[in-house]
Amino acid sequence: MAIPILSLIVLIPILFAVLTLFTKTKEQARAIALFASVLVLALSMFMYFNFDSTTPQMQFQEFAQWVPSLGINYQLGIDGISMPLVLLNAIVIPFLILFSWNDDKKQPNRFYALILATQGAVIGVFVALDFFLFYVFWELTLVPLFFMVSIWGGPGKHKASIKFFIYTHVGSLVMLLGIFGLYFAAWKQTGTPNMGIEHLLSQFQFIASGLSRDLIFMALLFGFLVKIPAFPFHSWLPDAYVEAPTAGSVLFVLLKIGGYGLFRVMLPILPFTPSMDLMINIMAALGAVSILYGAFLALAQNDLKRMVAYSSVSHMGYVTLGAAGLVSLSVSGAMFQQFSHGLIMSIMFMACGIINNATGTMIINNLGGLARKMPKLAVIMMLAFMASLGLPGLTGFIAEFLVLTFTYINQPTYVVIAIMAIIITAAYHLWAMQRAMFGVYNEKFGALKDISASQTFSMAVIAILILYFGLNPSPVLDMMITNSEKLVSLMAVAGV
Amino acid sequence: MAIEDMAFLIPVLPALAFVITFFLGKKLPNGGAIIPIIAIFTSFIISLMITLNLLQNPGQIISQSYSWFAILNVGILIDPLAAVMLSMVSFVSLLIHIYAVGYMSHDKAQPRYFAETALFTTAMLGVALSDNILQFFICWELVGLCSYLLIGFWFEKPSAASAAKKAFLTTRVGDVMFLAGIILLFADIFRIFNGSIPEGIYVLRFDEIFTHIPEIAALNTQIFGFEVSHLTIITLLFFGGAVGKSGQFPLHVWLPDAMEGPTTVSALIHAATMVTAGVYLVARTFPMFIAAPHSLIVVTYFGAFTALFAATMGLVMNDIKRVLAFSTISQLGYMVLGLGMGAVIGITAVGDSMFHLINHAFFKALLFLCAGSVIHAVGTQDIRQMGGVRKVMPITFVTMLIASLALAGFGIPGTSIGVSGFFSKDPIIEAAYLFGESTENWLPYLFSIVAALLTSIYIFRLIFMTFTGKPRTNYQGHESPFVMTIPLMILGVLALVFGALTKTGFGRFLEETFTNNFVNLDIHALSEIGKYHLVSHGAGNEPLMILWMPVIVAIAGLLISYLIYGMRVIDMSSIVSRKNPVYKLLYNRYYQNAIFTQFLAVKVVYEGLALAGRAIDRGFDWMVYLIGHIFTEASRGLRILQTGVVQNYATSVVTGVSLLIILVKLILEVF
Repeated sequence: MAIPILSLIVLIPILFAVLTLFTKTKEQARAIALFASVLVLALSMFMYFNFDSTTPQMQFQEFAQWVPSLGINYQLGIDGISMPLVLLNAIVIPFLILFSWNDDKKQPNRFYALILATQGAVIGVFVALDFFLFYVFWELTLVPLFFMVSIWGGPGKHKASIKFFIYTHVGSLVMLLGIFGLYFAAWKQTGTPNMGIEHLLSQFQFIASGLSRDLIFMALLFGFLVKIPAFPFHSWLPDAYVEAPTAGSVLFVLLKIGGYGLFRVMLPILPFTPSMDLMINIMAALGAVSILYGAFLALAQNDLKRMVAYSSVSHMGYVTLGAAGLVSLSVSGAMFQQFSHGLIMSIMFMACGIINNATGTMIINNLGGLARKMPKLAVIMMLAFMASLGLPGLTGFIAEFLVLTFTYINQPTYVVIAIMAIIITAAYHLWAMQRAMFGVYNEKFGALKDISASQTFSMAVIAILILYFGLNPSPVLDMMITNSEKLVSLMAVAGV
Repeated sequence: MAIEDMAFLIPVLPALAFVITFFLGKKLPNGGAIIPIIAIFTSFIISLMITLNLLQNPGQIISQSYSWFAILNVGILIDPLAAVMLSMVSFVSLLIHIYAVGYMSHDKAQPRYFAETALFTTAMLGVALSDNILQFFICWELVGLCSYLLIGFWFEKPSAASAAKKAFLTTRVGDVMFLAGIILLFADIFRIFNGSIPEGIYVLRFDEIFTHIPEIAALNTQIFGFEVSHLTIITLLFFGGAVGKSGQFPLHVWLPDAMEGPTTVSALIHAATMVTAGVYLVARTFPMFIAAPHSLIVVTYFGAFTALFAATMGLVMNDIKRVLAFSTISQLGYMVLGLGMGAVIGITAVGDSMFHLINHAFFKALLFLCAGSVIHAVGTQDIRQMGGVRKVMPITFVTMLIASLALAGFGIPGTSIGVSGFFSKDPIIEAAYLFGESTENWLPYLFSIVAALLTSIYIFRLIFMTFTGKPRTNYQGHESPFVMTIPLMILGVLALVFGALTKTGFGRFLEETFTNNFVNLDIHALSEIGKYHLVSHGAGNEPLMILWMPVIVAIAGLLISYLIYGMRVIDMSSIVSRKNPVYKLLYNRYYQNAIFTQFLAVKVVYEGLALAGRAIDRGFDWMVYLIGHIFTEASRGLRILQTGVVQNYATSVVTGVSLLIILVKLILEVF
């Protein structure tokens, strides 16, 4: 490749984030941020249109030696697992900036800088092919999100930001333990150090000690499960999502690195883990329980944003469950759920933000009849709610259908648990819609104005994408299937 | 251009109409009603042409499939079953759209109304012409969405918002069963193909499913010690979907509440089209049902019980639309019962049931539109406040009377004289008699006869209370405008003559659905897999008494109603009182609301499970804090290190990481 396009989409947001820090006014900050994010979107689109979705191989690879003595390299690449997630970030961020165009935030330069910094770090995780680089970006995502919550968050921001930071950091450290275990074991095996992800994963099977393999696997899995998050490691999520400002909540939603880790790291080494059956059962059970548990918890919430946060736990359960399904289409469904969930939840949190700004409350029972004053919001929110509860024709259904149908082949019991959640999922969405948007208008809010043009535009674009990919998932699903087939064929090679 | 090349336009045109009306409706007169009307009219013409073509050339079944994604497809299948359904749906939808121009003329949200009904029509036509079970399910769900949106059309009314939610959630229970059935079916076919499905084979297409029926039927699972065929499980799960959508007991509870929507919506969605989708699903997958042991028996009982159960509640309702809602549930029960009769009469059951579905669509849509016309003019839905409406609304009165006669099923057995309901309901009741004869089980027949009596009573109660006598309140009535009465008259003619005109050809036409050059199934062989003993259905061979029985009870019902509500020779006030336990039970609809909403939804699911879950979640949170607290306490001595300076934290992170590395190295050395 003539142009190092992957480096550009990682470095542009980070460099422009630094540049944004030095701006003096909101106007300058948001203009620079929008420019950078549009640039990333353009580069990502260029990459997407030059991407070959028929091969599971890494594409647009970049390689440079970094610390040869430790086998650490600057190694980037993209395949069907990471491409859709890069696209997701590249698409949503410009519209998030546009959505926050007229926000009156203190320290606007930092606010927009942190959005860009998160984008750079998250994309970095997706394209890093070196475990060291991967971990650096992984930890880097924590920093801007921490400040996002602790500076612009709600009343409980300090507690929430610390809780989020420490909790996920513990997960990361355990994961790091796993990475080092793998690194040193492979070093011992081959005699040369190498931090390359593909190299280390392919060496995993040669580690002599079965216990070591189990420990490494569990350490890595723990790190990813905390980040997804899967039940019972989810308790950082509601506080962080709820206390974060709207942009922060959307950034959290785009932080799909936990699920990504399952596909990039866990599935390739799963067949070589001595207690593989147990691990598959753990993953499937945690996925199914997350789905059902998250749904019941969402039903119990009085706070709209908290309800959306718990619904996120529920939906991410499909990722874990589908990954454990070990059929190429269930794994693709899980990948597609990450993509779909990012789009849907972005609108959900934007809608929450609008309602909170307009009415000053998120307590569902205190709202009411908003659809009369905010018809545009009502239409977009209805679409997002329907997508979230899995209505066919929208992205959520494609993902859930694939996960449930194809996971059933190997894991019928867990699918039955998950299916029971479908009704509860519909119930909390519709009940919230009924109480917040329909019914008698709560006159104490006075004359509310409908959403602004820039907000309508940003939300409408994402809504149209939800509809488009719901009707025609192939543009992103095909590459996921290509890579899932390779992942699943690894199982077959291992005799599973 | 050949007619099959235009088939795709049937759902596409209303879809375009939805988009145009949604965005531009505000700028057009009448909320842009003309756009869906033109689109649906064209869809109707195409559907009708395809139907006529199929009647002349039975072999020209339209089947078009395209790859959608992965191993799934989208496609069109228009066989006799689909053709009949498409024609009916587009025709009724067209008339109701025209009627709605008048009915909704005072509503500010007209563009939203017409956009949503156009979307509904798209989805319903999509259900009818799907060539695979997944696409069927997708359209089925979209139909449910439109129903939700339209029940809650006046969303500022809390009762409407609540009814919309209830409708969606109750049908969702059925939908989940339907989805589970699809998943199980998929898994079984996957197993039959040994996990690798050849390129170009769309496993969820109906014809593909049908070819695997014997293999799926051979798969068994132990449930509570009984060997149950997978086909039985799958078909009963499908039937669960039908129970939800077609308002069968116990998931019928949403349908009476759905009357919160505009009356045109009730006529279109909750009488003529959407609620029949469940019946259509069973008809569509009938070859699976007849090969599944016990399934059709279950279908029979649900149908027969629902027909009777709903009719009893129809007797005591005072809201004109609720009477009709219970009537719809009851008639849907007949259709489901009719399908269950496949257990004795085989494929003929599909024709019988679909015939009733089509006739019912005409007369029930008509009943609702007449009711809407009355409500529009009188300004109330309570029949106790009406009376004497005949004088001010003659056209509405005559058409509603025709529809009521059709519902009650008046006619002369053995001749071609009769209203449409007579020709379609009687064969179902007669089949129930055959079922009784062959299985020694007379309950379905008994239920269907008693339900027929009650049907006649409640519908003429409605007619007498509304149209005859003197006005009981001071209403300002007037006949509705032509845009509303012309659809009434067209439907009135159909309710009168459609049954007589098509009674012989209809069943034979529908039988070709499963035996033609596209799918050729031996229904008899399939029924042997399902262990059903078919008897030859010699129409008119039953005892004369049996042939006359439905008509006799219909006349009896009319007389009873006339004595009570027309002549008023019997004083109902002693019976209709809060003290009468039977009346109380019926009026409170068997306390279903208390059982389902108050107990099951609120107490068990919300207060029991969800709030308990919240308490458990606090427990998890508390544990996290506890662990954190232990560490803080343990590090009390190290507090001096908490300087708040970032460099110090960075140093400790580096130290920590180094310690971790050493730890890992040690572990690896040991193993």
